Amino acid sequence: MFLTRFDWKSKLLALIVPLVVLTVWQSLVSLHVFSELILIPPLTLVSTLVELARSGELTLNILESLKRVVSGFLVGASSGFILGVVMALSPFLNRLFGPFLKALQQVPEFAWMPLIILLFGIDELAKVIFVSIGAFYPMLFNTWQGVSGVPEKYHELARVFDYKPHRYLTKVIIPGALPSIITGIRLSLGLSWMFVVGAELFGSDSGVGYMMTWGRQLFQIDIVIAGLVVIGTIGFLMNALLQIAETRFLQWRVSIDGRSA
Amino acid sequence: MKRLIINKRTKAVAVSVTLPVVLLILWQLFTCGMFASFKLVPSPCKVLNTFVILFSGPAFLHHIAASLERVMSGFLIGIVTGFSFGLLMGLSRTAEKIFAPSFHAVRQVPMIGWIPLIIMWFGMTELPRVLIISIAAFYPIALNTFAGVRNVPRHYLELAAVYDYKGWKLIRRIIIPAALPSIITGITLSLGMSWAILMAAEIFIQTEFGIGTQIQMGRDRFNMALVVAGIITVGLLGFSMTMLVEKLAKAVERERGIRTEL
Repeated sequence: MFLTRFDWKSKLLALIVPLVVLTVWQSLVSLHVFSELILIPPLTLVSTLVELARSGELTLNILESLKRVVSGFLVGASSGFILGVVMALSPFLNRLFGPFLKALQQVPEFAWMPLIILLFGIDELAKVIFVSIGAFYPMLFNTWQGVSGVPEKYHELARVFDYKPHRYLTKVIIPGALPSIITGIRLSLGLSWMFVVGAELFGSDSGVGYMMTWGRQLFQIDIVIAGLVVIGTIGFLMNALLQIAETRFLQWRVSIDGRSA
Repeated sequence: MKRLIINKRTKAVAVSVTLPVVLLILWQLFTCGMFASFKLVPSPCKVLNTFVILFSGPAFLHHIAASLERVMSGFLIGIVTGFSFGLLMGLSRTAEKIFAPSFHAVRQVPMIGWIPLIIMWFGMTELPRVLIISIAAFYPIALNTFAGVRNVPRHYLELAAVYDYKGWKLIRRIIIPAALPSIITGITLSLGMSWAILMAAEIFIQTEFGIGTQIQMGRDRFNMALVVAGIITVGLLGFSMTMLVEKLAKAVERERGIRTEL
């Protein structure tokens, strides 16, 4: 099982596209097809990344963006989580909030941005609110789905043992809905990351999105592309970490179910 | 019995309507008369009034038409390329091994992040706006077409082999019909994505016409009623487009169901 053969052929095939892109890129640069303003040599990109990292500018901007993601995500995801649990457990509240939230969801997040800025100014608060709107819906939907899908026999068992609400929540609802909740966290964190970049492109004086806008305005395309690499890498890492968590929690669930069957 | 059902239904509708109505009343109370505590926030009547004014001139319809045209071109480019890409990766394992890793790597970049780069390359023109929308439409359809093609049941392919279906005939007669539900899901998701990114495209890449432009204009002039009217318009249009596509999808599904029965 552990000694699966290293698949050299797949790895080599996967390298074709990056190599072709790099070759075309480098030859376009060498042949001076486009000006340096539009296309930089691949090596310049590397040196820009190194330079940005060494000057501390990159770390500072990344930290600033991450701070916004964390606060927006916490606000949006926790409210989505609470509403999701409540709406899944109570048909009345589901009817009360459901259609209203669904109607609001029809509005693309970016359309809220001008309104948020008019109401709250262009400061930190507006960005956090914007990010939390993005984080809210996936968390709400997935929590709702997970909690609704908790098998009826679990509820019955909880009733037999006469669980208090607190115990009911921590012992039955959350463990039962966990895989779905983790999917919600993953999706909602991914969207938070996209919206923080959007909020920073819109108007900011720090963060990775700001760095890219600044690079664009100064016609420094190397900074813009470096920004793309950075946001892609961070997005990838967030997703990968939560995917690992997801499989772990799923494993636990499978083993329990396997034993009970 | 029937009355009971109707009663239950009316009750459900009444509950659903409660929250919007309460919020609307609060909104009106806080923006009109003596409770008016936020000067900036327009009253519901003012928003309604703005709608009346907007619909009395041709400019508003012009904005809507521009947005619809933009989203449709981006969406069509995105789904045609995304479908072909997904089909190719689904049909050939070699193609999957070549393209999938790079595709998944590029996909990690949040779509919004592409905007500064494509503005630098193409300027503040229509091209980058359509391009970003088609990027947004590309991912869901590509992923869903790929998954659909890969999950074609084995016995369909065996049957096709018996009938000696090959190449184009195999794709058209067996693979695409079998993958259709997944492809349709992809199209619906792509449309939603296109519509969501349209707003970003119009706000970040300034343009003369578009609903996003109009919302942005409202912000620049501190005309909040215009901003709210714009938001409502976007929501309603997005909703009707989604409904339309879902209806179409259902019709296609039904057609397909009949054919399987035959």
